[in-house]
Amino acid sequence: MLDLKKEDIDGILIRYNVSLEKEMTPDEAAEELYPKDELIYPIAKAIYEGEEDDVIDGLKAAIDAGKNPIALINDALMVGMGVVSQLYDEGIIFLPNVMMSADAMLDGIEYCKDQTDEVPEPKGTVVCHVAEGDVHDIGKNIVAALLRANGFDVVDLGRDCPVDEVIEAVEKEKPILVTGTALMTTTMYAFKEVNDKLLEKGIKVPFACGGGAVNQDFVSQYELGVYGEEAADAPKIAEFILASGDGIEKLREEFHKH
Amino acid sequence: MVQKYTSMAYASADDLVFGKAKFPVKAGLGLEIGAGYTTPEINYAPRPQAGKSKEKLIKEYERITTDSMQRMVQIGAPSVVLETEHVEQMTNNPSWGGEVAHAQKTIMEEYHDEYGIKCALRHTPGDIREDRDFLKLRGDKYDLLMESFEQIAQNGADLLSIESMGGKEVFDYSILRNDTAGILFGIGVLGSMDMEMIWSDIADIAKKNNVVAAGDTDCAQANTAMFIAGGLLDKNLAHTIAIVARAISAGRSLCAYEAGATGPGKDCGYENTIIKSISGVPIAQEGKSSTCAHSDVMGNLVMQACDLWSNESVEYHGEFGGTSVQCWGESLAYDCSLMNVALKTGKEKGLRDLFTLSDKYRDPQGYVLAYENAYRVGQAIVKDGTDNYLRTKNAAVECCTILDEGIASGKLRLTRFETKALAKVQADLAALPDNSDQFMSDCLTKYKEEVAVFRPENYGL
Repeated sequence: MLDLKKEDIDGILIRYNVSLEKEMTPDEAAEELYPKDELIYPIAKAIYEGEEDDVIDGLKAAIDAGKNPIALINDALMVGMGVVSQLYDEGIIFLPNVMMSADAMLDGIEYCKDQTDEVPEPKGTVVCHVAEGDVHDIGKNIVAALLRANGFDVVDLGRDCPVDEVIEAVEKEKPILVTGTALMTTTMYAFKEVNDKLLEKGIKVPFACGGGAVNQDFVSQYELGVYGEEAADAPKIAEFILASGDGIEKLREEFHKH
Repeated sequence: MVQKYTSMAYASADDLVFGKAKFPVKAGLGLEIGAGYTTPEINYAPRPQAGKSKEKLIKEYERITTDSMQRMVQIGAPSVVLETEHVEQMTNNPSWGGEVAHAQKTIMEEYHDEYGIKCALRHTPGDIREDRDFLKLRGDKYDLLMESFEQIAQNGADLLSIESMGGKEVFDYSILRNDTAGILFGIGVLGSMDMEMIWSDIADIAKKNNVVAAGDTDCAQANTAMFIAGGLLDKNLAHTIAIVARAISAGRSLCAYEAGATGPGKDCGYENTIIKSISGVPIAQEGKSSTCAHSDVMGNLVMQACDLWSNESVEYHGEFGGTSVQCWGESLAYDCSLMNVALKTGKEKGLRDLFTLSDKYRDPQGYVLAYENAYRVGQAIVKDGTDNYLRTKNAAVECCTILDEGIASGKLRLTRFETKALAKVQADLAALPDNSDQFMSDCLTKYKEEVAVFRPENYGL
């Protein structure tokens, strides 16, 4: 077949990811971010590496040395996850690293809770669901993992979730944010019903929607809608609500990019 | 009866070209797919509110069909395929799908009778075989799905397709964890097992109703990997892993043709060039003219061997240039016109190579799918063609070898991250057993424990 000379390829396409790749390796970048405390360092590193067993070993050692199990959630597990989230946001590591780290962190949180009767201070609850009639849930699973990775409690209602079930969960859990994902144009219409039923009950919680055929124009049509273009927007929206309140207009100004 | 491919349909990769398939398929109203010309395949989705009732849906599809056919005759297109991918209501209520097919075909017949335009209608029921928590590949949902195929086949659909989801529960878990064995198990083993079952039955329905069992796509898995991988700057999945998943998917999607399907394969099966090289069936593809639905990094390259050229999907609504189906359909028709001129003037291999070269070095995905490399993946599959595990593992290994060669040539430039991810996949593959029974046993143990929604009984295990 025809072929191009090596020197001709740059005139046709540029792999910008190659030319922009950072010099520092992910491991080196992580090393710079780990806390220096000798009991916390191995836990944070094990979170970054996604090694559940090493996380538990590190927690055991820290608790044996007198650290409070509940305090370790924020002081070690969340710190380690913070390293992971920062590297992901900076484009240094990829999503599977975050997922594996989140798995390890959740195991660590469960371990800490089992070591004491104390209850950790909640950061905020987010209710996640996939639109009624839609069974495509990988996007929702990523959203839920990223929210948990950022310390939020997630109530995961799963896929093909009836509108009324979303409303009941919101009334019960009093979340700071509701998320909805959908792949298909016909199922995303359920978002409008969720919006209308929440308003009927006088609940004005931000409702972040995204996925597949969902677009900003559609989400902007209903009062509580905030469009999330990427799964990684979900924790950013939740953090924004904690810092700046849940005004829909402010959220749209911040997150509606088009 | 499933007959596995153990040899290639074409003697050399150079024989692969758009518009010509070794085994053309006659369908619908005067159409022959892969018989020396390419045809636009227009795809669409109803507006959200159209799903409210059967009547609204039928009306929506009547508008879509009329608009599409009207634009095709207005610009002088000699042929067209319309594809209706069901919204879930149409598959869950089989008579709805049947009535939509009937309404669409009635309009298409009117245009065929009046203008002589060659046309066919593809219907693609949704894979409804699941409940809220689990895949439910066998049992009541399966029967309902087959009833949907019966209804559309009886009422006007000429080409039967599906984007089946077998193996997706293990794949979804694995792809987010860089778990090579899980990706191979989900697509190559579980996906293939489900494909053999479902396509044997679809082929029987097609035969009974004198319509075409067209083909499948690994949209649920390989396209999920491709979409998560995204563009050059996205940081969600290494593109080297996405193309390994794609190579594996060729062995899986091939099962449709081994169980009685004859093509054309589904548009979003980016694995279709590999499949055409093995089977000789015509294929649909999508790329630069499906940016209404999604982005990819090989928009020209995938035209290289297409027989139908598709826009994947567009919501039906108004644009400046007409309705969305008219605008995108027109783009497809002009793409096909160019390819058809090349075919008539003997320039098709030159145009094919231009399509391929414009994207070959853009990304590892396009590099492996470039037809001469796709052909090599095909050869790796047929080498152990009778064993679903070994042949899909072979495809993954060959994919990695091709990438290594591309890197060594200096023409395929990868990031360190992509190269490292590739090395990990190669190491993972090298550690896998050479025996499918052992692999099955290892994976059943591992994924029953790790993937809460994995139910082996879905696969008769």
